[in-house]
Amino acid sequence: MIGLTHYLVVSALIFSIGLIGVLRRRNLLMLFFATEVMLNAVNIAFAAISHFYNDLTGQMFAFFIIAIAASEVAVGLGILIVLYKRYGSLDLDELESMKG
Amino acid sequence: MLQPINVSLESLNLITLAPMLVAIAGGLIILVLDLINSKLHKTLYVMLTLLILFIDFGAVLGLNVNERGFFDVMLIDGVSIISQLMIIVASMLFIPLSLTSKRFHEYSYPEFFALFLFMIAGFQFMVTSDNLILIFVGLETASLALYTLIALHNRSNSFEAAVKYFTMGALSAGFYAMGSAVIYGLTGSIELYKVAAVLSLRMDEASIMIAIFGASVLLLTAFAFKLSLFPFHTWAPDVYEGASAPLAGYMSVVPKVAAFVVSIRIFGMYIDLGIEWVRIIILVLAVGTMTLANIMALVQEDVKRMLAYSSISHAGFIMAALALDTTEGTTAIFLYYALFMFTNLGAFAMLWISRHKVRRFSDRYDNPYEKFAGLINIMPMGAVIMALFMLSLAGVPPFSVFWGKIYVMQAAVNSGYVWLAIVMGLNSAIAAYYYLKLIVFMFLKEPVKSVDTVYYNLSKPLMAVIGLATVATIGAIFYIQPLISYIYYMISASGY
Repeated sequence: MIGLTHYLVVSALIFSIGLIGVLRRRNLLMLFFATEVMLNAVNIAFAAISHFYNDLTGQMFAFFIIAIAASEVAVGLGILIVLYKRYGSLDLDELESMKG
Repeated sequence: MLQPINVSLESLNLITLAPMLVAIAGGLIILVLDLINSKLHKTLYVMLTLLILFIDFGAVLGLNVNERGFFDVMLIDGVSIISQLMIIVASMLFIPLSLTSKRFHEYSYPEFFALFLFMIAGFQFMVTSDNLILIFVGLETASLALYTLIALHNRSNSFEAAVKYFTMGALSAGFYAMGSAVIYGLTGSIELYKVAAVLSLRMDEASIMIAIFGASVLLLTAFAFKLSLFPFHTWAPDVYEGASAPLAGYMSVVPKVAAFVVSIRIFGMYIDLGIEWVRIIILVLAVGTMTLANIMALVQEDVKRMLAYSSISHAGFIMAALALDTTEGTTAIFLYYALFMFTNLGAFAMLWISRHKVRRFSDRYDNPYEKFAGLINIMPMGAVIMALFMLSLAGVPPFSVFWGKIYVMQAAVNSGYVWLAIVMGLNSAIAAYYYLKLIVFMFLKEPVKSVDTVYYNLSKPLMAVIGLATVATIGAIFYIQPLISYIYYMISASGY
């Protein structure tokens, strides 16, 4: 029987995968995908907890997270396109000019 | 058979939404105006934005303290009113800085002003709610608009800054969402007052501490990113350097005020529940932030990066006041930002008027110290004003930030944290070094090159803003007492 714990473990695992992705990826596009993975992991947790409590608030939060993730992608990709037009690359190590 | 849902208009208490609606409607009006006639001059948009901010200010002043509205999602308490007033005043100081004598790419777009107003609405939503969903939506509305405003500056550095800020913001959004999921899992609610009620009933359960620890670490990480606290501060100097100078000054005040309000609501709740290690974590973060940022600021070669590190260090000061969780400590947070706002925006505005299209003094930096060498010979008035701002930031009496610092220390001593006050004093002493370094460059050194004029970007509106900031910095001694009593009254009225 799959219970709440299973869902929460899956959610925590996916969240960790996303976090490792953010820390390890050098390509900006992949890095943005990793942050989306983190947000979707949270959605799983919210949906599962919401079902567990028989309360709709969690699912509502999940919908808001989906909407926010979508708008983040819209703005983020816009910035990435400008960046790519200017530099011809999305690699973090090549782009970095400000340090210290 | 589902019953139709009836909601009476009076129970919504729509007046609580009025300030945000003013800002959003203003943004839409600007967009529509641009559709009708796209050849309008930016002065019109600046004046329109100022007008909308004035109406917004009036709408906030018209609110009653301690009301709830819109299905109890909106919470108007003293903290939210003060922070909204501060956000709007800082915005009113910021927006005339776009009337420079030189043309800049971003201000030729009316979208700049529309996005700016949407951002303010986002911050206002963030501070007027104790519902985790609305806080999240407000936070993201404001942040997404802010990333775009940074990128609009149209320099290669600005795109890099926008991407860095965006990445950090997206990461902190993930942490915030996960932290709220843990809170929801623990208590079955996302309204902070219900969360507090459920948690206080469950405090003596055995394993609850681990879950509370998880939630507070996730949320603390999210807000440490936003507040640029010590291990998560690395983005801030780069973003401030890449953004235009007024926007950098704005970013060092307004988003942090909003994030501090949410932190007061969330972590104040934890400390009130008697969870002592939350306070310890916050204290460690605060002391680390002020010390490390100070040491980093010592070695900077660029004035803008120095100011960025200095504003991180000031955020550390204020975070320490958050850990006290007394009425006095919370008052100190708002008092400090109210004073710091004028001085810091003034200092960044001084960098803005000396901005050149090309880097004339260094290949790497826009505002190296050499640029300001011998400024007293070239532009005596400017040098004196800049020196005033530096002395104020260093905490020299009787200038404005001194009163903020002394009030924070007093709050720390009164709640029994004498060592914290001593650490703050030592940090102010270290900080004086790098502020005085700039004064030495301006007053005692000879100009490096034959400079025609450093004040390339000067115009009447900029002079007005800087004059206002100077008056607020010098005259602090005259308004400090009523300001403290007003903030104290508002905060004690909302029960913090």
